[in-house]
Amino acid sequence: MSRFSFLSSDRAVGLLFIAPFVVTALVFMVYPIAEAIRMAFFNYNPLRPDLVSYAGMSNFEFIFSDPLFWSSFGQGTVWTLLSILFQTVFGVGIALLLHRKLFGMAIFRGMLLFPYIVPTVVIALIWRWIFNPEIGVVNYGLLSVGLIGEPIYWLSTPTMAMASTIMLNVWKYTPFVVICVLARLQSVPLELYDAAKVDGAGAFRRFLDVTLPQLREVLIVVIVFRTIWTFNKFEEIYLLTKGGPGTSTFNLAVYSFEQSMASLRLGVGAATGVVMMIMLMIGSVVYLRVAGFGNEEKEA
Amino acid sequence: MTSNDRTRSRSLLDRRNFLGGAAAAGIGARSLFGASSASAQSTKTGTIRVWGEPGPYGGTAVAAMNEWAQKNAPGLKFEIETIPWDGVYIKLMTDLAARRPPSLISVESPIAMQMMAEGLLLAVDDIADKIGRDRLVEGVKWDYWGSWKGKQYVIPAHHQPHLLLVRMDIVNELGLKDPDTWDWNDLLNAAKTITQKKQNMAGFCMALGRNLCTDYHFAALLHAAGGRMFDASNKFEVAFDSPETVEALTFVKELQPYMPKGAVEYSFLQVVDAHVTGQTAMSFYWGRTLGRAAEEAKPIFEATEAFNHARNPRTSRRSNWNDFQGWCIPAQNNPYIEEVKQALLYQQTSKEWLVKYCHSLMPNVAPTYKDIANSEELKNHPFYKSKPKTVDTYFKSSLANSSSTANELLQGSNPFSGYVHGRSILAQTVQKVVIDNQTPQQAAKWGARELEAIRRENIRLLG
Repeated sequence: MSRFSFLSSDRAVGLLFIAPFVVTALVFMVYPIAEAIRMAFFNYNPLRPDLVSYAGMSNFEFIFSDPLFWSSFGQGTVWTLLSILFQTVFGVGIALLLHRKLFGMAIFRGMLLFPYIVPTVVIALIWRWIFNPEIGVVNYGLLSVGLIGEPIYWLSTPTMAMASTIMLNVWKYTPFVVICVLARLQSVPLELYDAAKVDGAGAFRRFLDVTLPQLREVLIVVIVFRTIWTFNKFEEIYLLTKGGPGTSTFNLAVYSFEQSMASLRLGVGAATGVVMMIMLMIGSVVYLRVAGFGNEEKEA
Repeated sequence: MTSNDRTRSRSLLDRRNFLGGAAAAGIGARSLFGASSASAQSTKTGTIRVWGEPGPYGGTAVAAMNEWAQKNAPGLKFEIETIPWDGVYIKLMTDLAARRPPSLISVESPIAMQMMAEGLLLAVDDIADKIGRDRLVEGVKWDYWGSWKGKQYVIPAHHQPHLLLVRMDIVNELGLKDPDTWDWNDLLNAAKTITQKKQNMAGFCMALGRNLCTDYHFAALLHAAGGRMFDASNKFEVAFDSPETVEALTFVKELQPYMPKGAVEYSFLQVVDAHVTGQTAMSFYWGRTLGRAAEEAKPIFEATEAFNHARNPRTSRRSNWNDFQGWCIPAQNNPYIEEVKQALLYQQTSKEWLVKYCHSLMPNVAPTYKDIANSEELKNHPFYKSKPKTVDTYFKSSLANSSSTANELLQGSNPFSGYVHGRSILAQTVQKVVIDNQTPQQAAKWGARELEAIRRENIRLLG
């Protein structure tokens, strides 16, 4: 009888509803993370699984003593910070423009999603053509208007290759920021702007004192997510530059891939992933604390 | 029921019968077909995956295998899967690691030798015997494609050297010497002269990106200087930190100002593009450039000839890189071993199909067997008439200068070379000099450390 009552209870229904997510999370999130952590402590050549051996901390010692790990970390940090900075600035700016009630604005909002929708593989290949020094449209345009005298080798010098990968990332993911910010803008009470106008605030002052504070929470969330996703990003860099020229656009995701697949050191690749996870966890917690995310709710 | 049980083997063509038949019939293709096609019947069904590099020749080989299948295994179909050059290592390793290898792989000797030493390949001495051990063209040995500890693991698909491609119209216009007589100084001087005197044209082009092509281009220069990565005669001790390596790196650095600026990211395709689009007057490349130029840029095709590489002035070596591309059969997780062996034998003993294979992209894939190389059928191709010397250089005279990282200076099979290319060690060493502006000495030391790490991690391969 009690068994039947449990099965028909709200609690059981709740468990039933949550079960698909829990199972999916266990299979596709918890297990891979646990396996990566386990593998980080083993020497594992995927071609010779019969030769697997316990490595202790040696995989971590390897990466911490590898100059390429640290340069990948540094480059990945630069890539992430600059990408997020430009995405945020452009994202807020474009969202403010799209927030205006103008004829055909819905079409612009729809078009804005284009870079975000197109698969990264397609975008990276297109951008390789765009950046082609001899036949690329970027050089053609710049040469045509006389801004440059000779072709720029976008992907052939370390600085320009880094700039190109950042440009690609900003172009592709700014729409995500725009969507989040636009959604928040549409829920900002218009009375706040009216009151600010009555108090004599100009457009810039209203942006600083009304709009930005209202966007604060959403920007904190967007920046955290974008930082995590960008720091972990592999495919854009790999498809556009393969981490080159040299290793000048390596980030830790590319480093991990190279160690795992090219060097057949799966343990080292896993250890890199574990270190990335810890770095991002610490970074996210510190950032959320410093930014005061959720303080208003606590105070309330 | 095992795959062996399911495959009812009939009397296979033995070597003596093959050679005897070949001599009697002038190696008539159809007679050889008949002999080998009657060798087996298989009731298996499914698709047999075959991996090959980009190019029509893999498809031609598979067409031959499908001809065998129609007669002997009607339920089977061979299917080629093309792997980009720069992706071949990653693709191979991930699929082998995932236990889903193809049933047959056409691959260059360094990676074949790594897989062979790792015990991942099937020994194919029985097929080699049936093909005919003494059938190879002059100047090569079965070892070059892949043998390890007395067993043959790779069946020759073709040999494929990269040579010096030269626009003779430019060379003649500028009054430069015959490229056949050049040493490194002459090559450098020619590259410089062309760059200075021809607007919008680089004098020379080779790959300098972090990729397999750069590995292969640089290896030729390293070997011409007498340098090596490993010493095959001394338990494969690392021999890279040497004056010879420094000499080769210095030469690359000297050539760089006369290359296209984008060369630091160039791989295979970009070097071909540079030559075929007229951006460069000279390049290191395999015969594929000529095949493409013939289709897309007739004047450039007509003006381009291939030469053995310029001599190193100190050693007089003109080492090239030769792919020594071969067929290998994964030993594990491969349900079609018997069928693949028979189909491969069928293709390898068919003059008609082997000629078609070479003709599919002239003069990129050179014949490996004497009877094919000397056949009139092979010579029945327009390139033989328009570029006889170039074809001969690719197919024959280059063999005297053959080398590769899989068999450095032809001193012995190197089980580590696949790892070297997987990690792009040679290319990265070059990039230390051309991008990071390190001295050749510093770069050589870095490369030697990386090679030492590979040797240390995989010393088990030496047994």
